[in-house]
Amino acid sequence: MKMLYFPGCTLKTSAKNLEKTAFAIMEKLGHEMVEMDDWTCCGVVSSLSDDDLMRHLAPLRSLIHVEDQGEDKVLTLCDMCCNTLKQTNLRVKEKADDLETLNAFMDQENDYKGTVTVYHFLEFLRDEVGFKTLKKMVKNPLRGMKIMPYYGCMMLRPREVAIDDAEDPQILSDLLKVLGADIVDNPFNIECCGSYHTVEHKEIVSNRAHRITNFALERGADAIVLSCPLCRFNIDVRGKEAEKLHRGYKQIPVYYYTQLIAIALGLDPTVCGFEQHAVDPNLLLKKKGVYRK
Amino acid sequence: MPSRRYNQKIDHDQGIPLADDYFLDEPELAILEDKMPSPETTVKGITQMAFKKKKRVIDSDVLIIGAGISGMQSALDVADKGYKVVIIDKTSTIGGSMVKLDKTFPTNDCSICTAAPKMVELARHPNIELITYAELNKLEGKKGDFTAQIWKKTKYVDPDKCTGCDDCTAVCPVDVISSFNEKISTRKAIYIEFPQAVPIVYTIDHEHCTGCGACDRVCEPGAITFLEKSEEIEVKAGAIVIATGFEVFEPSELRKEYGYGKYENVMTAMQFERLLSSFGPTAGKVLRPSDLNKPKKIGWIQCVGSRSEQEGYPYCSRVCCMYATKEASIVKEANPGININIYYMDIRAYGKDFQQYYDHAKDLGVKYIRGRPSNVYENKDKSLTIRYRDTLSGKVKEDKVDLLVLSTAIIPAKDNKKIAKILGIEVDENGFFKQDSLLQNPVQSTKPGIFLAGCIQGPKDIPDSVSMASGAAAKAVAPVKDRKRHVGRDFPPEKDVSLEEPRIGVFICHCGKNIASYLDVEKVTEEVKKRPNVVYAEHVMFACSEDTCKKIRDTIKDQKLNRIIVAACSPRTHGGLFQDTLLESGLNKYLFEMANIRNHCSWVHSDDWDKATDKAINLVNAAVAKVRLLEPLSEEEFSIIPSVLVIGGGVSGMKAALALADMGVKSYLIEKEKELGGRLKHLHSMFPSDIKAKDIIDPLIKQVTKNRLITVMTESELVDIDGFIGNYEGIIKHKSKKRKIEFGTIIVSTGFREIDLEGRYHYGKNKNIISQTELEEKIKEGTLKKKPKNVVIVNCAGAMDEKRPYCCRIGCGVAIKNAKLISERYPGVKIWLLYRDMRVFGKEEEEYYSNVLKNHHVTVVRYPGDKKPEIKLDKKDPKEGPMTVKVYDDILNEELVLDADLVVLTVNTEGEVLTNTLKNMLKIPADAGGFFLEAHAKIRPLDFATDGIYLCGAAHYPKNLVDSIAQAEGAASRAAIPIMQEKMKGEGQVAEVNDDLCSGCQTCEGICPYSAIEVKPRQDKPDHLVATVNRALCKGCGACAAACPSGAIEQKGFKNKQIRVMVDALLGKEN
Amino acid sequence: MARKQLPKNKEISKIVFKKGELVKEVEDICGENLFGCYQCGTCSAGCPYVDDMDLTPDEVIRYVVLDRQEVLSSKTIWLCSACFTCAERCPRDINITKIMEALRQIILRRKIDHSYAQKTSKKEREAIPQIAFVSLFRKNIG
Repeated sequence: MKMLYFPGCTLKTSAKNLEKTAFAIMEKLGHEMVEMDDWTCCGVVSSLSDDDLMRHLAPLRSLIHVEDQGEDKVLTLCDMCCNTLKQTNLRVKEKADDLETLNAFMDQENDYKGTVTVYHFLEFLRDEVGFKTLKKMVKNPLRGMKIMPYYGCMMLRPREVAIDDAEDPQILSDLLKVLGADIVDNPFNIECCGSYHTVEHKEIVSNRAHRITNFALERGADAIVLSCPLCRFNIDVRGKEAEKLHRGYKQIPVYYYTQLIAIALGLDPTVCGFEQHAVDPNLLLKKKGVYRK
Repeated sequence: MPSRRYNQKIDHDQGIPLADDYFLDEPELAILEDKMPSPETTVKGITQMAFKKKKRVIDSDVLIIGAGISGMQSALDVADKGYKVVIIDKTSTIGGSMVKLDKTFPTNDCSICTAAPKMVELARHPNIELITYAELNKLEGKKGDFTAQIWKKTKYVDPDKCTGCDDCTAVCPVDVISSFNEKISTRKAIYIEFPQAVPIVYTIDHEHCTGCGACDRVCEPGAITFLEKSEEIEVKAGAIVIATGFEVFEPSELRKEYGYGKYENVMTAMQFERLLSSFGPTAGKVLRPSDLNKPKKIGWIQCVGSRSEQEGYPYCSRVCCMYATKEASIVKEANPGININIYYMDIRAYGKDFQQYYDHAKDLGVKYIRGRPSNVYENKDKSLTIRYRDTLSGKVKEDKVDLLVLSTAIIPAKDNKKIAKILGIEVDENGFFKQDSLLQNPVQSTKPGIFLAGCIQGPKDIPDSVSMASGAAAKAVAPVKDRKRHVGRDFPPEKDVSLEEPRIGVFICHCGKNIASYLDVEKVTEEVKKRPNVVYAEHVMFACSEDTCKKIRDTIKDQKLNRIIVAACSPRTHGGLFQDTLLESGLNKYLFEMANIRNHCSWVHSDDWDKATDKAINLVNAAVAKVRLLEPLSEEEFSIIPSVLVIGGGVSGMKAALALADMGVKSYLIEKEKELGGRLKHLHSMFPSDIKAKDIIDPLIKQVTKNRLITVMTESELVDIDGFIGNYEGIIKHKSKKRKIEFGTIIVSTGFREIDLEGRYHYGKNKNIISQTELEEKIKEGTLKKKPKNVVIVNCAGAMDEKRPYCCRIGCGVAIKNAKLISERYPGVKIWLLYRDMRVFGKEEEEYYSNVLKNHHVTVVRYPGDKKPEIKLDKKDPKEGPMTVKVYDDILNEELVLDADLVVLTVNTEGEVLTNTLKNMLKIPADAGGFFLEAHAKIRPLDFATDGIYLCGAAHYPKNLVDSIAQAEGAASRAAIPIMQEKMKGEGQVAEVNDDLCSGCQTCEGICPYSAIEVKPRQDKPDHLVATVNRALCKGCGACAAACPSGAIEQKGFKNKQIRVMVDALLGKEN
Repeated sequence: MARKQLPKNKEISKIVFKKGELVKEVEDICGENLFGCYQCGTCSAGCPYVDDMDLTPDEVIRYVVLDRQEVLSSKTIWLCSACFTCAERCPRDINITKIMEALRQIILRRKIDHSYAQKTSKKEREAIPQIAFVSLFRKNIG
């Protein structure tokens, strides 16, 4: 299957490894992931004001470009992009007046017809590829790894654009089970990582990372798996910094789910770009003997 | 055991598919007799049998669907009037949800103990046909002439043979999750839901039965009928009452943040009831599921699934505050060491004695925390951490509890839509059944001839359900009122045996293995044969079975028996059955005694054969000693004057009179004021539908005055009364004239009034401080001259304080409605509503409240009970000038000072002015608030303890219109029962006074709970006072006999001599 | 207990509301009805930043309902990261997340900037994912 892909800013900078592993997996699965033309910033935070349509322009423009390229599906890797695109898509589908206003405003573009479905990469794996198919392809099961799945906000809320149950999501644990890992449940795995406060309130974010991780640590977790590049930074980097704030606290490695899929499918580990992480993810994989000789 | 024709593969309706090995299990006999059937011929045979079976058609007057407490009440109310009732239930037993509860609020009465007698009464009622494990398939016809098709599922157990001995469950190898125990335990594939189930007939769960046949092999009466088919029964009826009950919200799809289904120690309140119940899975012990340890701390979260505009239902579930309070109190009383927190938003202790019950729980140490938890997570030790904001202290906190109970909402049953479709009636947006008109005709469905009872129309507590059920009964009788009535059963004339020497027959029951396996029934039989006057004794397999009852009848005839003893189980459950057997044989039913050798011997002494046998012999001997001295007793029969006196001509009184008239019963409606209408006359509009009071009252008055069966008497008062149920004579004073009227029963519907605030809140000092009633009158009459700018409404004025500890139940609703009224009248006005707990509990009320706040920007301020709002008057112009109201905002923890040019007080209420007079005249009790006290807070909310007097509307407690009307129609149903029976029989076992011994001390008079004793001058010696027993009212409780200091009162059937010989016999003394 | 002391800001205290009342302007921007709030505290209990806030989210709603302009000076509205937990759990179906945004908007639309990102070190600026900066600007600048 050929899938159009919307990258967004972070995938091209601090989360290159997320993109790279996703491409590698798709190739391994026999699908083609094609970066779309003319993508712009997704808008990042979906508009929360009812009276301000301007903020829907950026995401809508990218949706129009998907239609322009003759596609009705678009894949996203970044949770923030996915959420923003989905929310705008939903809004214009539900409110015809708003769509009309926006279309009229963007006189340089074609009108958006509302045919596009936005996919989170995880959704694609679950619904289109199927975790069962993945299971059959696992070469290096993540045996012995006790992993806490972390969801954060953007995949789950608001409910209307969620890819799983907002209070009790299972998609990551289902995936990890398929890959052979043990799951450590954590009720805090749906709480905010600290988000953009990482710029101005580092300590608050470090404390968030500590609260989220510590619960899993007490229950024996030795790794965290997540999807969002900002969550990765906050839990990994700010979590590491939290070691200074909380005595005896030791941050555990943080993985993108794509990295673990890549490892489990037996892809070359260098594709994972582990060097971008603050806590070295390789050590644990080696310790647990996941890499086959 | 005889060989039966079994076969492996048969459809559901053809029977249970049996396991291969069962078929081969008894091959010897089959092969020996050469009767091994081939599967094909068997199936064919069965199919043919099925076609041959004729469809049953039952002619009835009223069909009732659902046999919970509401359905049962409706059925009994209709059947007692002489009409034939068919009642069906989809489960295998009657009782519904009430029997699952441990205790009931606010009296902490045992739930099953109050429900079980009703269940037995229902099952034994000659006018009621009970069909359990049955559902409605189809309905045709219209009011007065319905034809329903009932699908009666087979239980695969012959009800005539099954004795409820429980042997089958011991051998059944299949465990099934018990829905009766709310999924916290298992039952077998053959089961009864609970030990007191009615009928006590086991059911095989087709879905789970493996067909192993183990139950069949152990069933001594041979009751297992694997081939019994389900059948369709046609029921004809003139009216239908629907009472299919409710379901409980299960937070496994919505509200997952509380961890139900994910964490072991999170359960619903209904599951907790089963934990508390003595016949629940832990036999009443509170143990947490994960490790069966006693929890040290328990939490309750309120409003789970209710009051939720998202992730749940928008309405208030009405009962949860009180059931949580009840559950917490029960736990706390038994285990003071357990810490209890209840997390709530508003405690809705709105009903009679509810506020006091809540206060009592706080005194017991139950901690109430105002804050709705955000989420819950499990700790390593399986305890749970609850995250919440204590909104009164302002702190966000985490509490750890060992067990978490979710007070989940009453929700409409999933089947409602299906049933509604079959019946052709409508459901509302939540899925509850819709009324014709919420505020005018609350028990009427959207289709004539079909009526609603209980929680199918919205969440409700037991008394409100029971009242509504009686109301539905009254309405259901109307279309069939002219049909033939039949009260009681016909028996052959009674033989006079008073002069005969006692000839005693004794029947000793094996109760299958229940008795016979634990004591020597043969020895008991032999021993009792030796007793004087015993001419016949026999032991039988099941005394209660139909063939034994026939044997008893035959033996009475052949042996000329005139006293019968059955040594079996409890007279409470089975006494009536045997007494009927006596009546069928022409014997007086009081010439009978039971010895309970099952509960008292085999059950409690199951480990000691000899002692159990000895005790059984002693008990039977005692019964023999007593029965020799028994006399035939007569039940006084008296006729009933066929009209009802309704006191009070408000909505309740008028609705009661109209409901009576619809049943063809005459009434006198007396009203002290010039006009009918009561309080509604003063009101502008009604909560929560904003219908104008006038639009309710005017048509009602017209209907009442037009009705030929209602005699309206305004400006009239009852000044004197004499008589008892069925035969009252009252003097009605109209202006200066007095008139004597006669009536059979009385309905008290005198209503309520606002209390005197005695100057509190400067009431009376400033003309802009007014009560809610005054506000409505002013708005109605347009006398609120100046347009108010700042209105402050103060709730709970004179309520829930030391003097009046109760909640007025309706104040919150009235305050909201009037806030809306003011806002609509005076656009731009600022309205503040000061409240303590917002108690809007009824149907559509919560939604109404929420909409008023949103649409009219009413600002609510919660104030604590110990910091009442203070009004400051203007110094220059205290009588009319502007005011300020100082109120402590509980949530902000700040004192607010509000400007006000109009202050409206929601004043507490009390019983109407007539309470005192009526209390003394009718000898009926009232509480400190002037509200009358019903016979039983839960299951007899409309009756007084004194027969023949009934209660409805706000005379019982302040009530909104919906509840008042349902109650009024219910009271009409109750008051019509004696009248439609035309004659009544009193109790046979009544108290009897020996005039010569009585000193007229009046001890008995005060102690009698039924007002059956009056001390008056002796007829032959007028200067001597003597107690006289009214045989129509006496219930035979024996309280007077025990209290009489001169031994002048004896209780028939339990005379001193009769008791003494029993004691002697038990002590082994001959007499 | 006395009223909570919030930081004073001259610019903010000078704001004049469009329809005269804070609550009306908030409702116009976010389309939520604040009077439907029962003050149950669910939003505050579930808020990940509540420990660092001067007013809890339910207090913010109460302040707006009581037309207390000082709510605009509270730290709370800037600490909200729009994680939607409060909005998802609110039994009254009030989107508190949107209310927080409306309060920020009232300030930002009057060109009162609320970001100090320029203070971030170069090293940090290179390490932090772009989405963090863009989010910050959208929330705190407008």
